Amino acid sequence: MSAVPSSGWLYGAIQRGRNRGLGGLYLVVAAFLVLYAVLFPGILSVSGFSKFTQNWFPLALVTMAQALLMLNGGITLAIGPLVSLGAVIAATTMGGALGVPGGILAVALAGLAIGAVTGAIVAHLRLPAIIVTLAGSFIITGVALILLPRPGGFIPDWLSTTLAGHTPVAFLLLVAILLAWKAFLATPLGIGIYAAGDNPIGAFRSGVPVERVKIVAFALSGLLAALAGLFVAAQTGSGDPVIGTPFTLNSIAAAVLGGVGFLGGKGTMRGAICGSLLLSVMINVMFFLGFPPVAQYVAQGLIIVGAVAVPELLKQWRARR
Amino acid sequence: MKAVKAVFRNPSLLTFLLVALVWLVASLTLRGFGAYGHLRYLLELAAVIGIVAAGQTLVILMGGIDLSVGAVITVTAILLPLISPAADPTGLVGIVLALALATGIGLLNGAGAAYLRVPPIIMTLAMATFLQGLLVIVAGGSAVTVSNPAVILLGQARPLGIPAGILLWIVVSIVVLLIIHRMPLGARFLALGANPLAARLSGVSVARNTLLLYALSGFFAGLAGILVLGMNRQGYVGIGDPYLLMSIAAVVLGGTSILGGRGTYAGTIPGAILLVTTTALITVVNASPGWRSIMFGSLILALLLISGREARR
Repeated sequence: MSAVPSSGWLYGAIQRGRNRGLGGLYLVVAAFLVLYAVLFPGILSVSGFSKFTQNWFPLALVTMAQALLMLNGGITLAIGPLVSLGAVIAATTMGGALGVPGGILAVALAGLAIGAVTGAIVAHLRLPAIIVTLAGSFIITGVALILLPRPGGFIPDWLSTTLAGHTPVAFLLLVAILLAWKAFLATPLGIGIYAAGDNPIGAFRSGVPVERVKIVAFALSGLLAALAGLFVAAQTGSGDPVIGTPFTLNSIAAAVLGGVGFLGGKGTMRGAICGSLLLSVMINVMFFLGFPPVAQYVAQGLIIVGAVAVPELLKQWRARR
Repeated sequence: MKAVKAVFRNPSLLTFLLVALVWLVASLTLRGFGAYGHLRYLLELAAVIGIVAAGQTLVILMGGIDLSVGAVITVTAILLPLISPAADPTGLVGIVLALALATGIGLLNGAGAAYLRVPPIIMTLAMATFLQGLLVIVAGGSAVTVSNPAVILLGQARPLGIPAGILLWIVVSIVVLLIIHRMPLGARFLALGANPLAARLSGVSVARNTLLLYALSGFFAGLAGILVLGMNRQGYVGIGDPYLLMSIAAVVLGGTSILGGRGTYAGTIPGAILLVTTTALITVVNASPGWRSIMFGSLILALLLISGREARR
C-alpha cells in the first residue's frame, strides 16, 4: 500500500502546478468580491447570493465552452448565436406536447449536434476553426431568426422560479457541472483534449484519436453554450433570437483573463472560471458604482489588457533580475 | 490536366476564376446583374472591403489578427467631420489628421502586442471595446454629416467613368503587392509569420515589424473609413462593424493561411469581390432575414471548401 501516499503526493503536486500563475488572479477576484460585498452587503444573504450567481452562471457556462476549445487549440466565434438558439428552442418547444423535459432534451441535442457537425468540419475537412465558426455563426443566427423572428415564446413560470428564483440552484448546477468536468478530465478522452491541444502530432503518435477528441470538444462546447441559452430563456421568461450576441467576445475575454492560451494545452478550467467570475463581478461593481454603460466599455478594455499584460511584464522583470 | 492542377495549387487564381464563373452565370440568369453600372457598383462596394482587408492580409500573413478594424473605420468616419478645420477649403487637413489618428490606434495595438506581449486577438479586441465606449462619449451616439469636400469627392467623383473608390483600391493593391512581393519588408513579415523564432534568430526585429504592421493595418482601416464616409455622406456608431468579419473572410477566401506565413494579397482582391457578389445575389433572392443569414453562412463555408483549406501540418 505504499503507492497510496505517493499517488497522493503526486496529485498534490499536479494541483499545485495547475494553481501556479493563478495566485494573482485569485487575489484580484477576492479583492473584487470584498469590494462588492462592501458596496452591496445584500450578497451575503441567500437571496442576494442566488441573484449574484444567476448573473454569473451563463457567463461561466459559455466561458467553459470557450476554454474547452481553446485548451484543444481551437476557438469558436459561434458562442453568442448558440446561446440565442438555445434560448429560442427552449421558448418554442416548452409549450409543446413534450413539455419541459422535451424542451431541455431538444436544447441539449441541438447544442451537441451543431457542435459535433462544426467539429467534424474543422477536424476532417481541415478548415481553420475561427473561420468555420464565423460562417457557422451566420447559419445558427439564421436558424434562430426563422424559429422565432421576434422575442417571445413560452417558458413555464415554475421553471423560471426554480432556476432563477431566490434559491441558489444555479450555483449548485455550476458546482455539479464542474465536478462532471473533473470526472471527464480523468477519462482518456478528457486528458486527450489537453494532449491534442498541446501537441497534436505527439498526441496522435501516443494513441490519442486527435480527430475524435476535437469533435467531442466541439460537441461539449455546443452543449454548454446551448444550455446557457436555456438558462437565459428561463431568466428572462422568453426567447430572443439575438440575446446571446455579447457572449461571444465575453467568453473569449473571460477565458483569457483566466490564463487560457490560444495555442492549446495551456491553461486550466479553474482559471477560466475565475476569469468569468472576475468579469462578472467587474461588470456588477461598475454598475453599482454608477458608471455609465459607455465608461464600462472603456474600463473593460483597459482591464482586459492590464490583466494579460501585467503577469507577462512581471515575468520579464523577474527574468531580467 | 496539368493546367487544372496548377490552378488548384494557386488559391488566388482559383478565387479569380470562381468570381469570373459566378459573374458569368449570374449575368446569364439574372436580368440586370451583368449591366455595366451594376458590376461597377459591386466593385465600388468591394473596394471598401478590399482596402480594409489589405491591412488585415498583412497582419494575418505575420500570424496575427486585427479585430479592431471595424472600430477604427467607425472612429475615422465619425471623428473626421469633427476634426476637419473649417478654415481649410480643400479638406485635406482633416483627412491627414484622421489617417494619423487611425495609424496611431494601430500603433497602440502593435505596442501592446510587441511590448506588453498581449496576444493580438485580445489586444485588438480590447482596443475595439475601448474605442466603442470612447466614441459614444465623444459623438453621443448621433450620426454626423460630412461637409469635407475632399472626402465627398473621394466618395462621389468618377474620373473617366470609374469611381474614385475603385481607383484608390487599385493604388492600394499595387502598393501592398509591392510590399509583400518586392520589398525586404514583405519578406520579413512572411518570415515572422512562418516561424517567429527562426526569423528572430536571423536578425528580424519582432517588435519593430509588429509595430509597423499594426500601424499599417490601422492606416488602411482609416482609409476605408474615409471612403465609407464619402460614399454614405454620414458617419454613425456601428458603420464599420460589418467590415471586421468581411475583411477576415476576404483574406481567408483568398487562400491566405489564418496561421500566417503563407498567402498573398492577390487572393484577397477576388476574395473581397466574391463576398460582395455573394451578398448581392442573396439580396436578389427574396428571402426572410433568417434564410438570408443561413445562405450567407453556407456559401462562405462552401467557398472555403474550395479555397481555404489548411495544409496538414
